[in-house]
Amino acid sequence: MVRETQQVMKPKRQKKSVVKETEAVLVSSAEIERYNLRERLVHWTVAISFLYLLLSGLALYSPRLGTWLYPLLGGGTNIRIWHPYAGVLFALAVTIMTISWRRCLWMYPEDWEWMRYSWKYITHKEGVPEAGRFNAGQKLLFWVLAFSGLILLLSGIVLWFREKFSRELWLASILAHEIFAIVAMGAIIVHMYMGLFASPGSLRAMVEGKVTEAWAKAHHARWYKRVMGIS
Amino acid sequence: MALELKAISATNYPTLGIKETERVCKLIDVSVCIGCKACEVACQEWNDTPVEETYPYTGSYQTMPELAYNFWNLIKFREVELGGSFGWTMAKYQCMHCADPGCLRACPAPGAIVQYTNGIVDFVQENCIGCQFCVTGCPFDVPRLSPKSQKVYKCTLCSDRVAAGLEPACIKACPTGCLQFGTKKQMLEKAMKRVRQLKAQGFSQAAIYDPPGVLGTHAIYVLPHGDRPEDYGLPRDPSVPWIVSLWKGPLKTVGNVVLLGGILTAALHYLKFGPMRAEEKTRG
Ligand code: HEM
Ligand code: SF4
Ligand code: SF4
Repeated sequence: MVRETQQVMKPKRQKKSVVKETEAVLVSSAEIERYNLRERLVHWTVAISFLYLLLSGLALYSPRLGTWLYPLLGGGTNIRIWHPYAGVLFALAVTIMTISWRRCLWMYPEDWEWMRYSWKYITHKEGVPEAGRFNAGQKLLFWVLAFSGLILLLSGIVLWFREKFSRELWLASILAHEIFAIVAMGAIIVHMYMGLFASPGSLRAMVEGKVTEAWAKAHHARWYKRVMGIS
Repeated sequence: MALELKAISATNYPTLGIKETERVCKLIDVSVCIGCKACEVACQEWNDTPVEETYPYTGSYQTMPELAYNFWNLIKFREVELGGSFGWTMAKYQCMHCADPGCLRACPAPGAIVQYTNGIVDFVQENCIGCQFCVTGCPFDVPRLSPKSQKVYKCTLCSDRVAAGLEPACIKACPTGCLQFGTKKQMLEKAMKRVRQLKAQGFSQAAIYDPPGVLGTHAIYVLPHGDRPEDYGLPRDPSVPWIVSLWKGPLKTVGNVVLLGGILTAALHYLKFGPMRAEEKTRG
């Protein structure tokens, strides 16, 4: 974390912010590194493999989606062959993500406390406790996805090498694969909505790695203070 | 006797079959099977499936350990205790051409499995994606994946021959009259007659095997010991697994609700609350 303190970027549009006098604008012009290159590469590997899994899974599952998705994703038989490999890639990338972010993503007591204000957060009300690098909603969403990923991986392996397993296990795996695919799909809709639409600046964080000070202060105040060395 | 479609895998629109078609049926009278394997050979010959290397002798009179992607018709051999004494059973095993085919219900590829109005369930390899969900859906463990083509194969009830007005190859080859072919009605009548004869001969449990769990099949059996189908390698109460029904029914609805509901909720949230802009919050 000390390292991060030194990575505070030089304010970019200094001139402009001097012209506008309000302090808020001044603050917002400085930039902070939020995700380093490795973190972004891991994230986008997870994201792309997940999207392929979701779309190819939907194509394998639903005939109507299938007819236009099949050719897009490589054709019926190829989809069936590639889907499990994408699963392995996803599992590996999520494992790396989990290990490297284990501290940032762990649910501490204050996170459970934060969850009590989640409705306020959703409805943009005041009084939501300050969040660390990730807020509790992001953390829980991650754990839901990671747990679903684990179940999907295990049941997927059974369906991949089905000759090695019993019929009862196939059936149980199909059920588990289905249920957790739906759970993961629900979770990713929330995540993509937040990342792409609901929180401007977030996407830039995951693409360019940087956020403005104002963004950091507004969304992750405890993290902001830590990075800036404000106690 | 042109084939008309009754059901198509992974397809919602109704099929266009309008003619009332007689359902065809294969009758397997186990009591007169001598285990000669003529039907196995005829099946391979007609369907042009190559003969594999033979397996080492394992003390069984069975040709192959089980069905294979290129071996659709197997005479299962068993040593069992029947009616208090030791006995052999020889029973033909192949796709049953279920009236409610679990394979078709489970298949996600449009048109990979079709059911004709005459009752034949056929795989259309051209449309198959090799996912093997049909294997899971089949209560008789019949379909088999070819490792080479990554497509699934099984008995077609010689749909090509039947369409041309011929009987299936196995029927033609059978020397004892164990295998017969006709309409389902005719075959049920014949089977009933055989069951009565067997009962008169002292097989008090003789019965027809036409499992109601899959709404009946288009390959039916006469079993001398009808109370013990397992001894002939047949499942006792086959039905489409409830998980397949759940997975293709209610869970599909849940999935749709989550997908469409999720997108809709996100859109509504955006319209009502808008994005959470950092500048506003820092000012406030
Ligand atoms: C195409 C799909 C995806 C998009 C557009 C996307 C977008 C984003 C964005 C913009 C952020 C930065 C949020 C912030 O800094 O506050 C982020 C963070 C993150 N993403 Fe994704 N993501 C996608 C898929 C995934 C998947 C499949 C996972 C699987 C676990 C995932 C896990 C995470 C995690 C754990 C974080 C950090 C915590 C958080 O912001 O929730 N992402 N993503
Ligand atoms: S026996 Fe199996 S493969 Fe044949 S129709 Fe029934 S479910 Fe399909
Ligand atoms: S493997 Fe079976 S379930 Fe899958 S597409 Fe082929 S016929 Fe359909």
